[in-house]
Amino acid sequence: MMGGQVYRMERDRARFRDIVRGRLRKDLRKYLSTSELLGRQGKRAISIPIPQIELPRFRFGENDGQGVGQGRGDEGRAADGEGAEGEGAGEAGDQAGQHILEVEVELEELAQMLGSELELPAIQPRGTRQLSTEGGRYTGIRSTGPASLRHFRRTYKRALKRTIAEGAFDPRSPRVIPIPEDGRYRARRTCPRPESSAVIIHMMDVSGSMGREQKDIVRIEAFWIDTWLRSQYQNLEVVYIVHDAVAKIVDQESFFHLRESGGTKISSAYELCLSLIREKYRPENWNIYPFHYSDGDNWSARDTDRCIGLLMDEILPAVNQFCYGQVKSAYGSGQFKKDLDGALGADERVVTAAVNSRDEIAESIRLFLGKGR
Amino acid sequence: MVSGSLSPQLRADAERAEGMARAVGLDFYEVVFEMLDAADVNAVAAYGGFPVRYPSWRFGMSFERLHKSYQYGLSKIYELVINNDPTYAYLVRSNSRMEQKLVMAHVFGHADFFKCNVWFAPTERSMVEVMARHAERVRLHIERQGQEPVERFLDLALSLESLIDPYLPLREHLRGERENGKAGGAAGGIAERVRRRFEARWGGGSELEATEDSPGRGLPTYDVLGFLLEEAPLASWQRDLLRIVRNEAYYFVPQRMTKVINEGWASFWHSKLLTGGLLDPSEIVDFADCHAGATAVAPGQLNPYKLGIELFRYAEEKGLDIMRLRRIHNDVSFIDEVVDEEFAARNQLFVYRTQGPDGRMQVTDRDWQAVKQQLLLELSWCGSPRIELERIGSDGCLELVHRHEGRDIKLDEAGEILGQLASLWRRPVALSTRVGGQGRRLVHDGGELAVLESDGAEPKHSEAG
Repeated sequence: MMGGQVYRMERDRARFRDIVRGRLRKDLRKYLSTSELLGRQGKRAISIPIPQIELPRFRFGENDGQGVGQGRGDEGRAADGEGAEGEGAGEAGDQAGQHILEVEVELEELAQMLGSELELPAIQPRGTRQLSTEGGRYTGIRSTGPASLRHFRRTYKRALKRTIAEGAFDPRSPRVIPIPEDGRYRARRTCPRPESSAVIIHMMDVSGSMGREQKDIVRIEAFWIDTWLRSQYQNLEVVYIVHDAVAKIVDQESFFHLRESGGTKISSAYELCLSLIREKYRPENWNIYPFHYSDGDNWSARDTDRCIGLLMDEILPAVNQFCYGQVKSAYGSGQFKKDLDGALGADERVVTAAVNSRDEIAESIRLFLGKGR
Repeated sequence: MVSGSLSPQLRADAERAEGMARAVGLDFYEVVFEMLDAADVNAVAAYGGFPVRYPSWRFGMSFERLHKSYQYGLSKIYELVINNDPTYAYLVRSNSRMEQKLVMAHVFGHADFFKCNVWFAPTERSMVEVMARHAERVRLHIERQGQEPVERFLDLALSLESLIDPYLPLREHLRGERENGKAGGAAGGIAERVRRRFEARWGGGSELEATEDSPGRGLPTYDVLGFLLEEAPLASWQRDLLRIVRNEAYYFVPQRMTKVINEGWASFWHSKLLTGGLLDPSEIVDFADCHAGATAVAPGQLNPYKLGIELFRYAEEKGLDIMRLRRIHNDVSFIDEVVDEEFAARNQLFVYRTQGPDGRMQVTDRDWQAVKQQLLLELSWCGSPRIELERIGSDGCLELVHRHEGRDIKLDEAGEILGQLASLWRRPVALSTRVGGQGRRLVHDGGELAVLESDGAEPKHSEAG
C-alpha cells in the first residue's frame, strides 16, 4: 500500500515546486538586488532559501512570550542558559515558526527566469567557430583490448562462427571454446562535436574608495552575468582581475573580499586583460566578455587616454562586447564613465552603466546583456 | 491480533508485546504494522500516515521539510500510528530491533488510548477509507473545475480549519446515545463530571452545554465551518470541499486535545513493557539512551512525552486509577486533576517569560498554582485562539468574537483570514478582539480591511467605517 504514497508524493512535491518557482519568478527583482543567492550554487543547480509558504491562520501573537519550563534555577534567573539539555525527539509542533525552506533550482532554469524578467535576447555567437572535442563514447569494436572491455556477445558469435566453419560444432553437445583471436573489444569512437566557448573577464577596482557595499553590488552583478552567459554557451570560463595601481589575476574568493588601498590605474587592468586575450583566449576560439567595475576615479587623465587607446585599438576588435559598470561610492567622481562615453559612446561594442544603488542592478544587467552580442 | 508485513522475528516480538499489553489491561483494535524504508517514511509521514490523501502542494511542502531535516540529521521519525479500526502503525526498516520493540510497545499504548478514551469515542474509525473517498472527490472536482480554483478554495478552507468547536463531536455523540435510550451510560456520566470540572475552573457557560435550542441558525457557535457549510452562498463543489476539510478537522480534534495524556500514556506503557520483560538484558542501555532522548526537555519547551509520563507515574504512585484517568480525560482536565504542589516541585516546573530584545527566557514564577494555570492556558482550546461566531449583523455582517484569555492574536494574519471569509460569505465580516488591553474591531467588506478601536469590554456593533 506504500508504493502509492511515494508515487503520489512525487506529484504533490512537483506541484509545491511549481508554486515555489512561481514565487521565485515573481520575486526575481528582489533577488536581483540582494546577495542572498551568492555562494549557493553548485555545479548545475542552486539552492534558494525561501520563507515557508504559510496559510494565514488565527494565531497567538507578541504577548505570548510566556510558558512553562522544567529545570533548576531561581526565580529571576535565565532559563535557557547553561546546562541546557539537548532537544527532545518529540514530534514537530504544529505552531508556525519562521521555517526557511531550501529549494533546488537548476541554474539553466534560473537563467531562463532572468532572461524573461529582463527580456534578454539570446546571444548570437561571433563567427562560426567550432571546437572539436573528443567524444568519449564506447560505440566501436576492435579485435584487441583489455579483458574488462571484452564484448561477450560479439566474442561468442565469432567463436561460434569459427567452430561451425571448422566443422567442430556438435548440436547435441553445443560447446564453443573461444581462442584469443575470437576476442572482440569495445572501443572508444571519437567524434567531433561543435562547441561554443566563452570567457568572462571580470575586472574590479579595489582601491580604497571601493567599500563593502560597492563590492557587494559588483558581486551580485557578476553572479547574474555569469548565470546568463553560462546558459548561452556550452563552455564558460571566468577570470577575475583586481587592480589598484597594478593589476593581478585572483581567484573568485579574493576577487570579492580583497581590500587594497592606494591609487587607481585602470590601464593596468586593461593591459592584463589584453595579455590574457593574446596568450590564452584567442578571439578565433573564444567569445570574450570583459567587464570592468569601478567608482569612476582614475589616477590621471593621461591614464584614461591610455585606457581608451587600448580599448579602441586592441581590445574592442577582439571581444564580443566590453561592459563598464560604474558603482557609486562616497568619494568617486564618476569621471571615467563620462570619458568613456565621450570617446566610445557611439561604438556599439561598448556598454556603460551607472549603478547608484542596489535597485539599479537589474537595469544595468539589462543594459549589459540586452544587445544579444 | 497483530498483522502486517513483518519478518518472522519482528512478528514474534509484536505478538509478545501484544500479549503483555493485553495482560496489563490495555484494550485495542487489531494493530497492523507496516514496514517502511527510511527513504519512504517521510512521504508517509507527510500524509499523516494515511495511504490516500487528496492532492495538495501542502503535503509536498511538508515532505520537503521532513526530508531536509532528516538529511541534515536534525530529526528522525520513530513512530507513526493512525486512529482507525484496524489501527495502522509504521515501523522503519533501518531501526534496530530494540527500537522496533520500543515503537511496538508505544503503539499499543496509543492504540489503547484511541479505543478507550472518551474523547475519541465519536471519531470515525474507518478514516483510511474516508480519506480515500475524500481524495477521490477532490480529484473529481479538479477534473471538472480545474486545478487552480480547487486548490485556491482548499487553501482558503484550510486556513479556517481551526474555526471548529472541539467539544461538538462528543456532545453530539452523547446526544445520539441519549436518544438511543442509553442515557446515563458510563461515557455520559464521565463527560458530565468532566463538564462540571471544566465549568468550575473556567466559569460561565460550559462548552459542553448543548446549544441546539439557541434561536436562529444555531448562533452563537464555535463551529464556524459548520455554519458556513449551511449558510454561505457556495457552489456545490465548494460546499463539498468545505465539508471535506471540516470532516478531517473534526477527526483530528481529539488528537490535538490529548497530546500530553496520549503521549504520556504510550510512553508510560512502553517503559513498563520493555523493562518488564520485552527487552533482552543486552538492550537495556540502548533503550535507556533512546528513551532519555525522547523525554528530554529543551528549555522553554513542553515535551508532551516527558510531562505525560511523569503525570501517569505520579498518579500511579498516589494510588489513582490510571485506567480511569486515561478513559475520561483530555490534556486540560488531566493536568487539572493530577498537578499539585508536590508534582510541580518534584518536576522543577516553572513559569518563564521571554524578556529583552534578544528574547532571553527568564524564570518568573515557581508557585505551583501559577505553573498549573499557565499549563492549562496553553493547552486550552487545543492551543488555538477561541473564536466564536456570535451573530449576524443587520447588514448581514458575520460577527466573530475572539474570547480573549490573556493572549493577543496576530492582527495581520487575522485580517487576511477575514478577507478570505468575506470573499466566501460575500458580505462583510468583523472580528472583535483585544490588543494590549485595547479593544479592536477588524472589519473586512470584501474589498478593504478596516481596524477600528472599540471600548474593549464587549464587542461594539458599529457600522463598518
